[in-house]
Amino acid sequence: MEAPPVTMMPVTGGTINMMEYLLQGSVLDHSLESLIHRLRGLCDNMEPETFLDHEMVFLLKGQQASPFVLRARRSMDRAGAPWHLRYLGQPEMGDKNRHALVRNCVDIATSENLTDFLMEMGFRMDHEFVAKGHLFRKGIMKIMVYKIFRILVPGNTDSTEALSLSYLVELSVVAPAGQDVVSDDMKNFAEQLKPLVHLEKIDPKRLM
Amino acid sequence: MGKRNQLVEVLGSGKRLKGLRVDAVYNPNTTDRKQPGYPMPMRSCYLTGVCTPSPWLFSPPFYVSYLLIWVTNLFLLVQREEKQLEASLDALLSQVADLKNSLGSFICKLENEYGRLTWPSVLDSFALLSGQLNTLNKVLKHEKTPLFRNQVIIPLVLSPDRDEDLMRQTEGRVPVFSHEVVPDHLRTKPDPEVEEQEKQLTTDAARIGADAAQKQIQSLNKMCSNLLEKISKEERESESGGLRPNKQTFNPTDTNALVAAVAFGKGLSNWRPSGSSGPGQPGQPGAGTILAGTSGLQQVQMAGAPSQQQPMLSGVQMAQAGQPGKMPSGIKTNIKSASMHPYQR
Repeated sequence: MEAPPVTMMPVTGGTINMMEYLLQGSVLDHSLESLIHRLRGLCDNMEPETFLDHEMVFLLKGQQASPFVLRARRSMDRAGAPWHLRYLGQPEMGDKNRHALVRNCVDIATSENLTDFLMEMGFRMDHEFVAKGHLFRKGIMKIMVYKIFRILVPGNTDSTEALSLSYLVELSVVAPAGQDVVSDDMKNFAEQLKPLVHLEKIDPKRLM
Repeated sequence: MGKRNQLVEVLGSGKRLKGLRVDAVYNPNTTDRKQPGYPMPMRSCYLTGVCTPSPWLFSPPFYVSYLLIWVTNLFLLVQREEKQLEASLDALLSQVADLKNSLGSFICKLENEYGRLTWPSVLDSFALLSGQLNTLNKVLKHEKTPLFRNQVIIPLVLSPDRDEDLMRQTEGRVPVFSHEVVPDHLRTKPDPEVEEQEKQLTTDAARIGADAAQKQIQSLNKMCSNLLEKISKEERESESGGLRPNKQTFNPTDTNALVAAVAFGKGLSNWRPSGSSGPGQPGQPGAGTILAGTSGLQQVQMAGAPSQQQPMLSGVQMAQAGQPGKMPSGIKTNIKSASMHPYQR
Protein backbone atom coordinates (compact mmCIF):
# COMPACT_ATOMS: atom_id res chain seq x y z
CA MET A 1 0.00 0.00 0.00
CA GLU A 2 2.87 2.27 -0.83
CA ALA A 3 1.89 5.57 -2.28
CA PRO A 4 2.88 5.78 -5.92
CA PRO A 5 5.84 7.99 -6.69
CA VAL A 6 5.07 11.66 -6.67
CA THR A 7 5.89 12.22 -10.30
CA MET A 8 3.09 9.93 -11.37
CA MET A 9 0.43 11.57 -9.28
CA PRO A 10 -1.90 13.86 -11.12
CA VAL A 11 -1.89 17.41 -9.98
CA THR A 12 -5.53 17.80 -9.22
CA GLY A 13 -6.93 20.03 -6.61
CA GLY A 14 -6.20 19.55 -3.00
CA THR A 15 -2.95 19.66 -1.15
CA ILE A 16 0.41 20.20 -2.79
CA ASN A 17 2.72 17.26 -2.57
CA MET A 18 5.37 18.15 -0.12
CA MET A 19 8.75 16.53 -0.21
CA GLU A 20 11.14 16.20 2.63
CA TYR A 21 14.80 16.81 1.81
CA LEU A 22 16.98 15.19 4.36
CA LEU A 23 20.65 15.06 5.33
CA GLN A 24 21.81 13.08 8.32
CA GLY A 25 24.90 12.74 10.40
CA SER A 26 25.92 12.17 13.95
CA VAL A 27 28.09 13.74 16.58
CA LEU A 28 29.68 12.16 19.61
CA ASP A 29 28.51 13.25 23.04
CA HIS A 30 31.65 15.08 23.97
CA SER A 31 31.53 17.23 20.85
CA LEU A 32 27.91 18.15 21.30
CA GLU A 33 28.68 21.46 22.98
CA SER A 34 30.85 22.70 20.13
CA LEU A 35 28.22 21.69 17.62
CA ILE A 36 25.51 23.51 19.57
CA HIS A 37 27.63 26.62 19.74
CA ARG A 38 28.30 26.51 16.04
CA LEU A 39 24.65 26.00 15.24
CA ARG A 40 23.65 28.85 17.48
CA GLY A 41 25.97 31.05 15.51
CA LEU A 42 24.90 29.83 12.09
CA CYS A 43 21.17 29.52 12.56
CA ASP A 44 18.46 32.05 13.09
CA ASN A 45 18.63 33.94 16.27
CA MET A 46 16.19 32.44 18.69
CA GLU A 47 16.18 30.93 22.09
CA PRO A 48 17.68 27.47 22.03
CA GLU A 49 14.80 25.10 21.80
CA THR A 50 14.89 21.68 23.38
CA PHE A 51 12.39 18.98 22.86
CA LEU A 52 11.46 15.65 24.35
CA ASP A 53 9.32 13.58 22.06
CA HIS A 54 7.92 10.11 22.12
CA GLU A 55 7.53 8.58 18.70
CA MET A 56 5.63 5.45 17.82
CA VAL A 57 5.79 3.80 14.46
CA PHE A 58 2.70 1.95 13.24
CA LEU A 59 2.48 -0.59 10.51
CA LEU A 60 -0.45 -1.72 8.48
CA LYS A 61 0.18 -4.97 6.75
CA GLY A 62 -1.89 -5.33 3.67
CA GLN A 63 -1.88 -7.92 0.95
CA GLN A 64 1.27 -6.44 -0.53
CA ALA A 65 4.62 -7.35 0.86
CA SER A 66 5.62 -3.94 2.14
CA PRO A 67 3.53 -2.53 4.94
CA PHE A 68 2.25 0.97 5.21
CA VAL A 69 4.16 2.97 7.82
CA LEU A 70 2.83 5.88 9.81
CA ARG A 71 4.68 7.74 12.53
CA ALA A 72 2.91 9.22 15.49
CA ARG A 73 4.77 11.66 17.66
CA ARG A 74 3.81 13.35 20.84
CA SER A 75 5.58 15.91 22.90
CA MET A 76 6.39 14.86 26.41
CA ASP A 77 7.45 18.22 27.72
CA ARG A 78 4.89 20.52 26.16
CA ALA A 79 1.50 20.00 27.59
CA GLY A 80 -1.35 20.60 25.26
CA ALA A 81 0.61 20.30 22.07
CA PRO A 82 -1.16 18.28 19.40
CA TRP A 83 0.01 14.91 18.31
CA HIS A 84 1.84 14.77 15.03
CA LEU A 85 1.14 12.14 12.42
CA ARG A 86 3.56 11.76 9.58
CA TYR A 87 3.80 9.68 6.45
CA LEU A 88 7.16 9.31 4.75
CA GLY A 89 7.40 7.74 1.36
CA GLN A 90 10.22 5.87 -0.23
CA PRO A 91 13.27 7.95 -1.00
CA GLU A 92 13.43 9.03 -4.60
CA MET A 93 16.60 7.66 -6.02
CA GLY A 94 18.19 8.20 -9.36
CA ASP A 95 19.49 11.70 -9.41
CA LYS A 96 23.09 11.56 -8.32
CA ASN A 97 23.40 15.29 -8.44
CA ARG A 98 20.83 15.80 -5.80
CA HIS A 99 22.68 16.14 -2.58
CA ALA A 100 19.89 15.32 -0.19
CA LEU A 101 17.58 12.39 0.35
CA VAL A 102 14.17 13.26 -1.05
CA ARG A 103 10.97 11.56 -0.06
CA ASN A 104 7.32 12.31 -0.12
CA CYS A 105 6.03 13.62 3.16
CA VAL A 106 2.61 14.28 4.64
CA ASP A 107 2.30 15.93 8.05
CA ILE A 108 -0.88 16.11 10.05
CA ALA A 109 -1.64 17.41 13.50
CA THR A 110 -4.10 15.32 15.41
CA SER A 111 -5.81 15.06 18.72
CA GLU A 112 -4.73 12.82 21.54
CA ASN A 113 -6.69 9.74 20.68
CA LEU A 114 -4.50 9.03 17.70
CA THR A 115 -3.22 5.69 18.89
CA ASP A 116 -6.68 4.33 19.56
CA PHE A 117 -7.76 5.49 16.15
CA LEU A 118 -4.88 3.81 14.45
CA MET A 119 -5.45 0.63 16.35
CA GLU A 120 -9.04 0.59 15.28
CA MET A 121 -7.94 1.11 11.70
CA GLY A 122 -5.83 -1.98 11.94
CA PHE A 123 -2.39 -0.53 12.47
CA ARG A 124 -0.10 -2.23 14.86
CA MET A 125 2.80 -0.61 16.64
CA ASP A 126 6.12 -1.72 15.40
CA HIS A 127 8.57 0.16 17.53
CA GLU A 128 8.85 3.27 19.58
CA PHE A 129 11.54 5.49 20.95
CA VAL A 130 12.10 8.70 22.82
CA ALA A 131 13.96 11.56 21.19
CA LYS A 132 15.54 14.25 23.32
CA GLY A 133 17.53 17.08 21.91
CA HIS A 134 17.76 20.52 20.42
CA LEU A 135 16.03 22.17 17.54
CA PHE A 136 17.42 24.93 15.34
CA ARG A 137 16.02 26.71 12.37
CA LYS A 138 17.57 28.59 9.49
CA GLY A 139 15.06 29.92 7.02
CA ILE A 140 13.15 26.90 5.86
CA MET A 141 15.83 24.50 7.06
CA LYS A 142 15.30 22.67 10.29
CA ILE A 143 18.22 21.22 12.18
CA MET A 144 17.57 18.68 14.90
CA VAL A 145 20.22 17.32 17.19
CA TYR A 146 18.78 14.59 19.31
CA LYS A 147 19.57 11.44 21.19
CA ILE A 148 17.52 8.33 20.70
CA PHE A 149 16.44 6.40 23.76
CA ARG A 150 15.18 2.91 23.66
CA ILE A 151 12.11 2.21 25.71
CA LEU A 152 12.78 -0.74 27.93
CA VAL A 153 9.36 -1.42 29.20
CA PRO A 154 6.90 -0.94 26.41
CA GLY A 155 4.53 1.88 27.08
CA ASN A 156 6.57 3.19 29.94
CA THR A 157 8.47 6.17 28.75
CA ASP A 158 10.35 6.63 31.97
CA SER A 159 12.52 3.60 31.71
CA THR A 160 14.65 4.52 28.81
CA GLU A 161 18.18 3.86 27.80
CA ALA A 162 20.33 5.63 25.28
CA LEU A 163 20.83 3.77 22.10
CA SER A 164 24.38 4.95 21.48
CA LEU A 165 26.92 7.48 22.59
CA SER A 166 26.11 9.84 19.76
CA TYR A 167 23.52 12.38 18.90
CA LEU A 168 21.78 12.15 15.58
CA VAL A 169 21.92 15.34 13.53
CA GLU A 170 19.28 15.87 10.92
CA LEU A 171 18.99 18.73 8.47
CA SER A 172 15.61 18.71 6.82
CA VAL A 173 13.50 20.89 4.63
CA VAL A 174 9.88 20.33 3.73
CA ALA A 175 9.21 21.95 0.41
CA PRO A 176 6.97 21.43 -2.58
CA ALA A 177 8.09 18.87 -5.09
CA GLY A 178 10.55 19.86 -7.78
CA GLN A 179 12.56 22.48 -5.95
CA ASP A 180 15.93 20.91 -6.19
CA VAL A 181 17.71 24.15 -5.50
CA VAL A 182 16.84 23.50 -1.89
CA SER A 183 19.28 20.63 -1.81
CA ASP A 184 22.07 22.95 -2.92
CA ASP A 185 21.33 25.29 -0.03
CA MET A 186 21.36 22.34 2.29
CA LYS A 187 24.67 21.17 0.98
CA ASN A 188 26.17 24.62 1.48
CA PHE A 189 24.94 24.66 5.04
CA ALA A 190 26.27 21.19 5.64
CA GLU A 191 29.68 22.34 4.45
CA GLN A 192 29.75 24.83 7.26
CA LEU A 193 29.32 22.13 9.84
CA LYS A 194 32.34 20.19 8.72
CA PRO A 195 34.53 18.81 10.22
CA LEU A 196 32.41 18.55 13.33
CA VAL A 197 29.64 16.64 11.61
CA HIS A 198 29.47 15.10 8.20
CA LEU A 199 25.94 15.51 6.99
CA GLU A 200 25.23 13.26 4.08
CA LYS A 201 22.56 11.45 2.21
CA ILE A 202 22.20 8.09 3.87
CA ASP A 203 20.01 5.54 2.17
CA PRO A 204 18.18 3.56 4.84
CA LYS A 205 17.80 0.59 2.54
CA ARG A 206 21.53 0.14 2.62
CA LEU A 207 21.45 -0.33 6.34
CA MET A 208 18.77 -2.96 6.51
CA MET B 1 76.85 9.05 -73.07
CA GLY B 2 74.08 10.60 -74.99
CA LYS B 3 72.31 11.86 -71.94
CA ARG B 4 75.52 13.03 -70.45
CA ASN B 5 76.25 14.96 -73.60
CA GLN B 6 72.88 16.60 -73.41
CA LEU B 7 73.56 17.61 -69.87
CA VAL B 8 76.91 18.92 -70.87
CA GLU B 9 75.29 20.81 -73.65
CA VAL B 10 72.96 22.49 -71.26
CA LEU B 11 75.64 23.14 -68.73
CA GLY B 12 78.31 24.11 -71.10
CA SER B 13 76.20 26.26 -73.28
CA GLY B 14 76.77 29.15 -70.99
CA LYS B 15 73.19 29.48 -69.95
CA ARG B 16 72.83 31.50 -66.83
CA LEU B 17 71.16 29.44 -64.17
CA LYS B 18 69.95 31.62 -61.37
CA GLY B 19 72.51 34.19 -62.34
CA LEU B 20 75.40 31.84 -61.76
CA ARG B 21 77.55 30.20 -64.24
CA VAL B 22 77.73 26.52 -63.79
CA ASP B 23 80.79 24.56 -64.62
CA ALA B 24 80.95 22.05 -67.31
CA VAL B 25 80.99 18.44 -66.37
CA TYR B 26 84.38 16.99 -65.92
CA ASN B 27 84.77 13.55 -67.23
CA PRO B 28 88.28 12.28 -66.84
CA ASN B 29 87.80 9.77 -69.57
CA THR B 30 86.93 12.13 -72.25
CA THR B 31 89.49 14.46 -73.55
CA ASP B 32 87.24 16.60 -75.63
CA ARG B 33 86.22 18.81 -72.70
CA LYS B 34 89.66 19.69 -71.71
CA GLN B 35 89.72 23.35 -72.22
CA PRO B 36 92.93 25.17 -72.78
CA GLY B 37 94.30 27.62 -70.31
CA TYR B 38 92.46 26.24 -67.36
CA PRO B 39 94.90 25.15 -64.75
CA MET B 40 92.15 24.18 -62.33
CA PRO B 41 90.36 20.93 -62.79
CA MET B 42 86.77 21.37 -63.49
CA ARG B 43 84.53 19.80 -61.00
CA SER B 44 81.21 18.30 -61.76
CA CYS B 45 78.33 19.92 -60.27
CA TYR B 46 74.61 19.54 -60.39
CA LEU B 47 71.92 21.97 -61.12
CA THR B 48 71.69 23.27 -57.56
CA GLY B 49 72.85 26.69 -58.29
CA VAL B 50 76.04 26.13 -56.35
CA CYS B 51 78.64 28.61 -57.29
CA THR B 52 81.79 26.80 -57.91
CA PRO B 53 85.04 28.63 -58.30
CA SER B 54 85.35 28.70 -61.94
CA PRO B 55 88.06 31.16 -62.85
CA TRP B 56 85.70 32.78 -65.28
CA LEU B 57 83.90 34.20 -62.38
CA PHE B 58 86.77 36.37 -61.39
CA SER B 59 86.87 38.33 -64.51
CA PRO B 60 86.51 42.13 -64.21
CA PRO B 61 82.90 42.54 -65.33
CA PHE B 62 81.93 40.38 -62.44
CA TYR B 63 83.88 42.37 -59.88
CA VAL B 64 81.47 45.24 -60.06
CA SER B 65 78.39 43.10 -59.80
CA TYR B 66 79.85 41.29 -56.87
CA LEU B 67 80.66 44.51 -55.17
CA LEU B 68 77.15 45.73 -55.77
CA ILE B 69 75.64 42.56 -54.37
CA TRP B 70 77.82 42.72 -51.31
CA VAL B 71 76.95 46.31 -50.62
CA THR B 72 73.21 45.60 -50.98
CA ASN B 73 73.50 42.71 -48.61
CA LEU B 74 75.25 44.82 -46.05
CA PHE B 75 72.64 47.48 -46.33
CA LEU B 76 69.86 44.98 -45.88
CA LEU B 77 71.62 43.55 -42.88
CA VAL B 78 71.94 46.93 -41.29
CA GLN B 79 68.29 47.62 -41.94
CA ARG B 80 67.30 44.35 -40.45
CA GLU B 81 69.36 45.02 -37.37
CA GLU B 82 67.83 48.40 -36.98
CA LYS B 83 64.38 46.92 -37.19
CA GLN B 84 65.33 44.35 -34.60
CA LEU B 85 66.71 46.99 -32.34
CA GLU B 86 63.57 49.02 -32.62
CA ALA B 87 61.34 46.06 -31.97
CA SER B 88 63.28 44.96 -28.94
CA LEU B 89 63.39 48.49 -27.62
CA ASP B 90 59.61 48.65 -27.93
CA ALA B 91 59.21 45.43 -26.05
CA LEU B 92 61.59 46.62 -23.37
CA LEU B 93 59.73 49.89 -23.08
CA SER B 94 56.38 48.22 -22.60
CA GLN B 95 57.84 45.88 -19.98
CA VAL B 96 59.42 48.72 -18.13
CA ALA B 97 56.18 50.69 -18.28
CA ASP B 98 54.33 47.74 -16.72
CA LEU B 99 56.94 47.45 -14.03
CA LYS B 100 56.70 51.15 -13.31
CA ASN B 101 52.93 50.92 -12.99
CA SER B 102 53.00 48.04 -10.58
CA LEU B 103 55.70 49.73 -8.53
CA GLY B 104 53.58 52.85 -8.42
CA SER B 105 50.51 51.00 -7.28
CA PHE B 106 52.52 49.16 -4.65
CA ILE B 107 53.85 52.44 -3.27
CA CYS B 108 50.32 53.86 -3.22
CA LYS B 109 49.12 50.79 -1.39
CA LEU B 110 51.85 51.10 1.20
CA GLU B 111 51.25 54.77 1.74
CA ASN B 112 47.48 54.83 1.82
CA GLU B 113 46.43 51.52 3.29
CA TYR B 114 49.15 51.32 5.84
CA GLY B 115 46.83 50.53 8.68
CA ARG B 116 44.96 47.63 7.17
CA LEU B 117 47.63 46.13 4.99
CA THR B 118 48.08 42.41 5.44
CA TRP B 119 51.21 40.41 4.82
CA PRO B 120 49.66 38.24 2.09
CA SER B 121 48.71 41.34 0.14
CA VAL B 122 52.25 42.69 0.38
CA LEU B 123 53.54 39.32 -0.74
CA ASP B 124 51.21 39.48 -3.72
CA SER B 125 52.65 42.82 -4.79
CA PHE B 126 56.16 41.50 -4.45
CA ALA B 127 55.25 38.45 -6.46
CA LEU B 128 53.86 40.64 -9.20
CA LEU B 129 57.04 42.72 -9.29
CA SER B 130 59.21 39.64 -9.34
CA GLY B 131 57.20 38.20 -12.21
CA GLN B 132 57.56 41.35 -14.20
CA LEU B 133 61.28 41.49 -13.60
CA ASN B 134 61.47 37.94 -14.82
CA THR B 135 59.71 38.75 -18.06
CA LEU B 136 62.00 41.72 -18.46
CA ASN B 137 64.96 39.43 -18.12
CA LYS B 138 63.47 37.06 -20.65
CA VAL B 139 62.95 39.86 -23.12
CA LEU B 140 66.57 40.91 -22.70
CA LYS B 141 67.82 37.39 -23.17
CA HIS B 142 65.67 36.76 -26.19
CA GLU B 143 67.60 35.61 -29.23
CA LYS B 144 66.15 38.31 -31.42
CA THR B 145 67.39 41.03 -29.10
CA PRO B 146 70.59 42.63 -30.27
CA LEU B 147 73.32 43.18 -27.75
CA PHE B 148 72.53 46.48 -26.18
CA ARG B 149 76.05 46.63 -24.91
CA ASN B 150 77.18 47.46 -28.39
CA GLN B 151 75.01 50.55 -28.53
CA VAL B 152 76.18 53.83 -27.13
CA ILE B 153 74.02 56.72 -26.04
CA ILE B 154 75.69 60.08 -26.21
CA PRO B 155 73.91 63.23 -25.18
CA LEU B 156 74.22 65.71 -27.97
CA VAL B 157 72.84 68.83 -26.37
CA LEU B 158 72.71 69.75 -22.71
CA SER B 159 70.79 72.85 -21.72
CA PRO B 160 69.59 74.25 -18.44
CA ASP B 161 66.31 75.37 -20.03
CA ARG B 162 63.03 73.58 -19.50
CA ASP B 163 62.19 71.21 -22.25
CA GLU B 164 58.47 70.76 -22.74
CA ASP B 165 58.80 67.66 -24.89
CA LEU B 166 60.92 65.95 -22.30
CA MET B 167 58.46 66.92 -19.61
CA ARG B 168 55.65 65.36 -21.52
CA GLN B 169 57.53 62.18 -22.27
CA THR B 170 58.71 61.61 -18.73
CA GLU B 171 55.31 62.56 -17.23
CA GLY B 172 56.72 65.64 -15.58
CA ARG B 173 59.55 63.96 -13.75
CA VAL B 174 62.47 65.29 -15.80
CA PRO B 175 61.92 68.94 -16.68
CA VAL B 176 65.44 69.78 -17.71
CA PHE B 177 68.03 67.82 -19.61
CA SER B 178 71.00 69.37 -17.89
CA HIS B 179 74.37 68.47 -16.46
CA GLU B 180 72.98 67.16 -13.18
CA VAL B 181 70.35 64.99 -14.76
CA VAL B 182 72.57 63.24 -17.28
CA PRO B 183 74.98 61.40 -14.93
CA ASP B 184 72.03 59.78 -13.15
CA HIS B 185 69.90 58.92 -16.13
CA LEU B 186 72.55 57.79 -18.55
CA ARG B 187 74.54 55.90 -15.97
CA THR B 188 75.89 52.51 -16.96
CA LYS B 189 78.12 51.72 -13.99
CA PRO B 190 77.09 51.69 -10.36
CA ASP B 191 77.96 54.46 -7.90
CA PRO B 192 81.59 54.71 -6.89
CA GLU B 193 80.75 53.78 -3.31
CA VAL B 194 78.74 50.82 -4.50
CA GLU B 195 81.58 49.80 -6.76
CA GLU B 196 83.94 49.93 -3.82
CA GLN B 197 81.65 47.72 -1.78
CA GLU B 198 81.27 45.24 -4.56
CA LYS B 199 85.02 45.06 -5.03
CA GLN B 200 85.41 44.48 -1.31
CA LEU B 201 82.88 41.67 -1.40
CA THR B 202 84.52 39.97 -4.35
CA THR B 203 87.95 40.10 -2.71
CA ASP B 204 86.47 38.66 0.48
CA ALA B 205 84.81 35.91 -1.44
CA ALA B 206 87.99 35.11 -3.34
CA ARG B 207 89.95 35.03 -0.10
CA ILE B 208 87.91 32.26 1.45
CA GLY B 209 88.78 29.71 -1.13
CA ALA B 210 86.62 27.51 -3.29
CA ASP B 211 86.26 24.57 -0.86
CA ALA B 212 85.26 26.60 2.14
CA ALA B 213 82.83 28.52 -0.02
CA GLN B 214 81.25 25.29 -1.21
CA LYS B 215 80.92 24.05 2.34
CA GLN B 216 79.25 27.28 3.38
CA ILE B 217 76.85 27.08 0.47
CA GLN B 218 75.92 23.52 1.32
CA SER B 219 75.32 24.24 4.98
CA LEU B 220 73.15 27.20 4.07
CA ASN B 221 71.08 25.07 1.72
CA LYS B 222 70.71 22.37 4.33
CA MET B 223 69.54 24.83 6.96
CA CYS B 224 67.04 26.37 4.58
CA SER B 225 65.57 23.02 3.63
CA ASN B 226 65.33 21.96 7.29
CA LEU B 227 63.50 25.12 8.12
CA LEU B 228 61.14 24.68 5.18
CA GLU B 229 60.39 21.13 6.23
CA LYS B 230 59.67 22.18 9.78
CA ILE B 231 57.30 24.89 8.62
CA SER B 232 55.40 22.65 6.24
CA LYS B 233 55.12 19.90 8.83
CA GLU B 234 53.79 22.36 11.39
CA GLU B 235 51.27 23.65 8.90
CA ARG B 236 50.07 20.21 7.99
CA GLU B 237 49.79 19.09 11.57
CA SER B 238 47.93 22.08 12.84
CA GLU B 239 45.36 21.71 10.10
CA SER B 240 44.36 18.11 10.32
CA GLY B 241 46.80 15.95 12.16
CA GLY B 242 46.36 17.65 15.49
CA LEU B 243 42.62 17.23 15.35
CA ARG B 244 42.44 13.72 14.12
CA PRO B 245 43.83 11.49 16.82
CA ASN B 246 42.09 12.85 19.84
CA LYS B 247 39.28 14.95 18.54
CA GLN B 248 37.10 12.65 16.55
CA THR B 249 33.80 14.38 16.65
CA PHE B 250 31.64 11.76 15.05
CA ASN B 251 31.57 8.07 14.55
CA PRO B 252 30.26 6.79 11.22
CA THR B 253 29.09 3.51 12.69
CA ASP B 254 27.04 5.43 15.18
CA THR B 255 25.58 7.43 12.36
CA ASN B 256 24.49 4.31 10.56
CA ALA B 257 23.05 2.77 13.69
CA LEU B 258 21.08 5.88 14.54
CA VAL B 259 19.76 6.32 11.03
CA ALA B 260 18.70 2.70 10.95
CA ALA B 261 16.97 3.09 14.28
CA VAL B 262 14.99 6.06 13.11
CA ALA B 263 14.22 4.67 9.70
CA PHE B 264 12.93 1.24 10.62
CA GLY B 265 13.50 0.69 14.28
CA LYS B 266 16.66 -1.32 14.17
CA GLY B 267 17.85 -1.90 17.69
CA LEU B 268 14.81 -0.35 19.29
CA SER B 269 12.01 -1.92 21.16
CA ASN B 270 11.35 -4.31 18.34
CA TRP B 271 10.48 -6.81 20.94
CA ARG B 272 8.61 -9.98 20.73
CA PRO B 273 5.99 -10.44 23.41
CA SER B 274 6.95 -13.79 24.89
CA GLY B 275 6.99 -15.70 28.10
CA SER B 276 8.86 -13.96 30.79
CA SER B 277 10.23 -16.46 33.18
CA GLY B 278 13.25 -14.51 34.00
CA PRO B 279 13.49 -11.06 35.45
CA GLY B 280 10.97 -8.56 34.32
CA GLN B 281 13.60 -6.55 32.59
CA PRO B 282 14.12 -7.54 29.03
CA GLY B 283 17.70 -8.54 28.73
CA GLN B 284 19.41 -6.95 25.94
CA PRO B 285 22.85 -6.74 24.50
CA GLY B 286 24.86 -3.85 25.80
CA ALA B 287 25.24 -0.67 23.90
CA GLY B 288 28.50 -2.05 22.71
CA THR B 289 26.84 -4.26 20.16
CA ILE B 290 24.96 -1.36 18.75
CA LEU B 291 28.11 0.59 18.47
CA ALA B 292 29.79 -2.28 16.79
CA GLY B 293 27.29 -1.92 14.01
CA THR B 294 26.28 -5.50 13.62
CA SER B 295 24.47 -6.44 10.52
CA GLY B 296 21.23 -8.31 10.56
CA LEU B 297 18.41 -7.32 12.72
CA GLN B 298 19.17 -6.82 16.35
CA GLN B 299 16.37 -7.95 18.50
CA VAL B 300 15.92 -6.94 22.02
CA GLN B 301 15.66 -10.04 24.02
CA MET B 302 12.78 -10.29 26.28
CA ALA B 303 13.47 -12.43 29.24
CA GLY B 304 12.99 -15.37 27.02
CA ALA B 305 11.98 -18.87 27.32
CA PRO B 306 13.79 -21.37 25.19
CA SER B 307 10.93 -21.05 22.83
CA GLN B 308 12.75 -18.12 21.44
CA GLN B 309 15.16 -20.38 19.75
CA GLN B 310 12.89 -20.76 16.82
CA PRO B 311 13.66 -18.47 13.94
CA MET B 312 10.98 -15.90 13.55
CA LEU B 313 9.29 -15.24 10.31
CA SER B 314 7.23 -12.28 9.41
CA GLY B 315 3.69 -12.53 10.39
CA VAL B 316 4.28 -15.19 12.95
CA GLN B 317 2.81 -14.33 16.22
CA MET B 318 4.55 -15.50 19.29
CA ALA B 319 2.72 -16.90 22.21
CA GLN B 320 2.10 -14.19 24.61
CA ALA B 321 2.67 -14.32 28.26
CA GLY B 322 0.67 -12.02 30.36
CA GLN B 323 3.00 -9.18 30.81
CA PRO B 324 1.77 -6.17 32.60
CA GLY B 325 1.98 -2.90 30.78
CA LYS B 326 2.33 -4.48 27.39
CA MET B 327 0.95 -2.96 24.27
CA PRO B 328 -2.26 -4.52 22.96
CA SER B 329 -1.92 -8.02 21.71
CA GLY B 330 -1.74 -9.02 18.11
CA ILE B 331 1.44 -7.33 17.32
CA LYS B 332 2.64 -8.30 13.94
CA THR B 333 6.22 -7.50 13.49
CA ASN B 334 7.97 -6.92 10.28
CA ILE B 335 11.16 -8.82 10.53
CA LYS B 336 13.49 -8.89 7.65
CA SER B 337 15.94 -11.47 8.79
CA ALA B 338 16.19 -13.96 11.53
CA SER B 339 19.07 -13.75 13.87
CA MET B 340 19.95 -15.91 16.75
CA HIS B 341 20.89 -13.87 19.64
CA PRO B 342 24.05 -15.08 21.36
CA TYR B 343 22.73 -14.44 24.83
CA GLN B 344 20.02 -16.79 25.80
CA ARG B 345 18.38 -16.17 29.06
